[in-house]
Amino acid sequence: MSDPSVSALVAEETATVDRVQGGGSLWSNAWRTLRRRPEVIVAALVALFFVVVAAFPRLFTSQDPQRCDISNSGIRPQWFSGPHPFGTDIAGCDLLASVVYGARPSLLLAFIVVGLSVLIGVTLGTLSGYYLGWVDTAISRAVEVFLVIPLLLAALLLLSLFRTVDTGSSVLGSILQPALVLTAFGWMGYTRYVRANVLETKNLDYVVAAKVLGASDLRIMVRHVLPNAIGTVTALIPTAIAGVISTEAVLAFLGIGVRPPAVSWGILISNGSERFTGDSQYLLLFPLGCLVLTVLALVVLGDGLRDALDPKLR
Amino acid sequence: MTRHVRLTVTAVATVAALTLTACGSGSDDSGTSGTSAAGPAGSGQSGAGSGAAPAGSGAGAPAGGNDAEVSDAVVKLVLNQDVDTLLPMDSNVGDNIGVLDVIYDGLVRYDPKTSKPYNYVAQDIATKDNKVWTIKIKDGLTFQNGEPVDAAAFARSWNYSAYGPNAVANNYFFERIDGYEPMQGEYEEDDAGKVTVTKEPTAKELSGLKIVDPLTLEVTLTAPFAGFSTMLGYTGFFPVAKACIDDVSGCAVKPIGNGPFQVDQWDQGQKLTASRWDGYTLPESPAFTGIEWTEYAGKSSWPDFQAGDIDVSAPPPALWAQANADPDLSSRKVESPGAALTYIGFPLYKGKPYDNIEFRKAISMAIDRKTIIEKILPGQAVPATSWVVPDGVPGGKAGTCEWCRFDPAAAKAALAKAGGWPAGQTLTIHLGKDETSEQYFKAIGDSIKLNLGIDYKLDPTPDFFDRRSSRGFTGIFRNNWFPDYPLNENYLAPVYGGGDAKKGNKNLGFYDAKFEQAIKAGDAAPNLDEAVVKYADAEKILAADFPTVPVSFSQNVAFYSERLDNVVLDPFSGSVELRLLKIKQ
Amino acid sequence: MGRYLARRLLQGLLTLFLVILLLHLLTTWAIQLNGNPALAFFGDRVPSPAQYAAVAERFGLGDPCYAQVGNPCLGPFVTRLGDYLTGDFGTDLRGRPVTDIVGTAAPNTLRLFAVVTITWLLIGMTLGSVAARKRGRLTDHGIRGLSIMIDALPVFVMLLVYRYVLAVPLYTWAKDTFGSNSTVALLFKPSFSSDHPMITVIVPGILLGLTGSAAFIRLVRAAQLENYNSEHVRTARSKGLTERHVVLFHIVRNSSIPVATAVGIVFTEALAGAVITEGVMNIYGMGGVLWKAVRDSDVSLVVGIVSLLAIVTIVVMILVDLLYAALDPRIRYE
Repeated sequence: MSDPSVSALVAEETATVDRVQGGGSLWSNAWRTLRRRPEVIVAALVALFFVVVAAFPRLFTSQDPQRCDISNSGIRPQWFSGPHPFGTDIAGCDLLASVVYGARPSLLLAFIVVGLSVLIGVTLGTLSGYYLGWVDTAISRAVEVFLVIPLLLAALLLLSLFRTVDTGSSVLGSILQPALVLTAFGWMGYTRYVRANVLETKNLDYVVAAKVLGASDLRIMVRHVLPNAIGTVTALIPTAIAGVISTEAVLAFLGIGVRPPAVSWGILISNGSERFTGDSQYLLLFPLGCLVLTVLALVVLGDGLRDALDPKLR
Repeated sequence: MTRHVRLTVTAVATVAALTLTACGSGSDDSGTSGTSAAGPAGSGQSGAGSGAAPAGSGAGAPAGGNDAEVSDAVVKLVLNQDVDTLLPMDSNVGDNIGVLDVIYDGLVRYDPKTSKPYNYVAQDIATKDNKVWTIKIKDGLTFQNGEPVDAAAFARSWNYSAYGPNAVANNYFFERIDGYEPMQGEYEEDDAGKVTVTKEPTAKELSGLKIVDPLTLEVTLTAPFAGFSTMLGYTGFFPVAKACIDDVSGCAVKPIGNGPFQVDQWDQGQKLTASRWDGYTLPESPAFTGIEWTEYAGKSSWPDFQAGDIDVSAPPPALWAQANADPDLSSRKVESPGAALTYIGFPLYKGKPYDNIEFRKAISMAIDRKTIIEKILPGQAVPATSWVVPDGVPGGKAGTCEWCRFDPAAAKAALAKAGGWPAGQTLTIHLGKDETSEQYFKAIGDSIKLNLGIDYKLDPTPDFFDRRSSRGFTGIFRNNWFPDYPLNENYLAPVYGGGDAKKGNKNLGFYDAKFEQAIKAGDAAPNLDEAVVKYADAEKILAADFPTVPVSFSQNVAFYSERLDNVVLDPFSGSVELRLLKIKQ
Repeated sequence: MGRYLARRLLQGLLTLFLVILLLHLLTTWAIQLNGNPALAFFGDRVPSPAQYAAVAERFGLGDPCYAQVGNPCLGPFVTRLGDYLTGDFGTDLRGRPVTDIVGTAAPNTLRLFAVVTITWLLIGMTLGSVAARKRGRLTDHGIRGLSIMIDALPVFVMLLVYRYVLAVPLYTWAKDTFGSNSTVALLFKPSFSSDHPMITVIVPGILLGLTGSAAFIRLVRAAQLENYNSEHVRTARSKGLTERHVVLFHIVRNSSIPVATAVGIVFTEALAGAVITEGVMNIYGMGGVLWKAVRDSDVSLVVGIVSLLAIVTIVVMILVDLLYAALDPRIRYE
């Protein structure tokens, strides 16, 4: 349910334009505020931990998640007393290794989707809000069309459309398609949001003044309009990443997410939730715990950032 | 459109269904689940048409015909597939076959224990030469709308099915009857895919069907076929009323049957209710007043069963152990062997290493069938050691497959003998899109990887059939075979026969002249018993060639509620025999 | 205002057209790449060309363009648009009218959405208001933490755990205590029942609503905080109005405007949750029907249902925009 576009849309409703000029003081103010909030520090550390897990899985396990022996099926967590600290799943794969290696596709997918969406959103939103006229009409129409088609339907259609295309079995290959689809249906929120922001900013006195003084469109956009928008878009990013991580789990449940043989948290959770009802709760709890922790950390981080970057709520 | 021809267990939830056949993925199931009959019909080669009608007619219902008092209970069952029609001519999945089994009566019905057919609506079925069959129908039977069940009712239904442009699922069953070809017409397809009609169908009726008198139908086949009468109890051969043909789309939703129950209402996608038809005169009628089927479309009805809202169900794999450990639940479990074979095919047309028998042996012996089934599909399958289901059909015998045992050391040796697996390459396993079989084949892939060191990847594809028949596979692939009729020949000839000597047959690229000869010898045998022996020879040739790897046979299972009694599963479809089911008072 | 409305309506129609076109192109492309669903009808059998052509015709996919990759199939598209204009939304692959399917499925989904919306609003308004009032204190942090936790749980996990672990004992207990057809018992029925469509969607709806409520809690909290600091509230306070009056009439009422619009925007989003909820709880609804239609490449059903949905969504969006244009003078439409 926590789709990035919704978070963005929701944020749009509450968006306020801070009237701090330039970037420097805003960011250093924010940094000072954040440093003083212990929960933000903890959240940042947790998020960082999982990024490290995703980047260097070998630090955390020596097992190969793809090496599964059915005769080891369903071993319960052994903690430090055996080769399978988190136990094994029904196919006999080591669960710790799966969870550790599953972090990479989940997080990478989220970073790619949010990164691309923000890029598209900021660009189109700025153009649309600044120039208005036919540019705005075209972009607004596109936003509306994409908003009207439910994300999941689009995901299904597109993912079934391209499923004959082999993207290889590398991590990037296995997440490429969901990443493209989630991006294609994830940029609208940022666009609307930035557009609204730009609409307000460009009527502010100092921007009007810059215009009168003969600054070029590009210069005004980059120097005066964008910093305002980016400040508040930044606050959305951690929450949006958390949203994509959750969405990946939903796609996995529907069988259209990250492609096997890659394992992602979503796939592990979806498999684990089937087994939860038996006596193999650990199969769900370990990956779910990691996902919830990560999401929690990112959202706290996002809230902290928003408070810090939005002086009005301070 | 992953519907295909699936065979699922009507009320019995997901078991055999999900395992082998559901979601149409990769199954060869031809869906003739009703045609479970062994050997020629009772009246088979009975000499003169009129005379001695043996086994069938008089014998009537086997044990279980319900003359006992009728309970006023409503039995609550489940439909697991997306059932989209109740037209007999178009019904070919386990679920609608199961429903229609109590809505319609066929010419013959099958003994649930032996699968032997006996006459039911038919008074007598006789033939001299296995080519011209004379079917006499019992007098005085009517449809639920009052129309008579006569020779015309059968001819009407069969002609409708056989007419190509009607495009019904059971069309191909009628290809053995004279006059089938002219009803198909001819079309031409150019490279751009444009279809042009070059010849409209020249006939609208099967020339091989002749209504001799209102209650006698004479059927002429294109060639002798001793098993013809065994097919006649299948859903596709049910009669239909004239009113049904006049309004086919209405009849598909609210059938006009001739069976003991009539459909009251069908809220498509939600539920289907049926109740007793008072005008029913034949002996086999369920011992309760109503049935309510709830549609689940893939989701498990198990919690509803546990809560007492559903009478028959089966647990999802994750809950299997729990359900079996419960002494109360497991005392209400029925299990019976199924007939579907899951096997691994090789793209023999791709050459190395698939065309090397040592490679295929290595794959086969690297798979720990027993443990995989125990963990992934508990209770739903049994390891296969033959290509024909043992004991289930004439000629079926366990153990014909020499290399179907789990032996990692021998597997490694065989792989070495085959020249090893090309370094750095990944073995693709193609299969249909279906979650349970993906888990199943992941475990099989893991087994191969663990014991042979070959990296694999799964390729679940919704257009499995297209890709297989166009030889689009680059790796090994999952197949299911569900027999059309209970004879060992049906597991062999349609799958491995009829190929081109150079290119091999269409799906597998397999060809062996000796195999073809053995099948031909069977076809030409004077009687069925001798034919079965010849066909068994063909299986031996297959076992030596080892073109495919048998993995498992299906198993039917159902748990039932406390109020049910005498729960018997149909050996072929796995569905509960509703006409035998009893309600405890 | 009148001219603006007319322009918005025209834009809405254009959007609708583009949505239908986009969907048509996507589904057509899918068929061209993946093979005609008519072929799948035959399962493993290789149909004679006659049978194939007949089925393709019956499915409305007889046009040869469906076999040519890259062909936009504009012919069938124009035909379909024409049919839509006459109110004919076509049939599914089995000849059941799309309007009939929607007529059966939509009420169940609407019931589900109603429960979801009520859950969102109740939880969002209550907890959001409390959090805003107790801002910065433990209660505020507690509410935020809890809502994020629930939000992070994938909805299917909650539903599966409820259905397989909690529902059966609860249902059995309620049946024993209150009688097997009592309202309380039906509330906990493990699956949807078409005989009791409203009562059996309540628990699934609440679970689905819970997972989406975090965003609303945050939204309400933020909106109210803004209002607490705004001038009209300060004025109201200085007039000597009671705190209770200020909160109820100025803060809650003013902050409910963005909340109401957000409910509208989230409409399409909720459909994703509906697919899962309907699947797990065996509810015959729009999500499940759409899901199946996409898997079956049922073009007319997909395009038909989404067009109907799009009409609803576009109307909602226009209303939201109008509301904004009327309420927020800061935004200038040029």
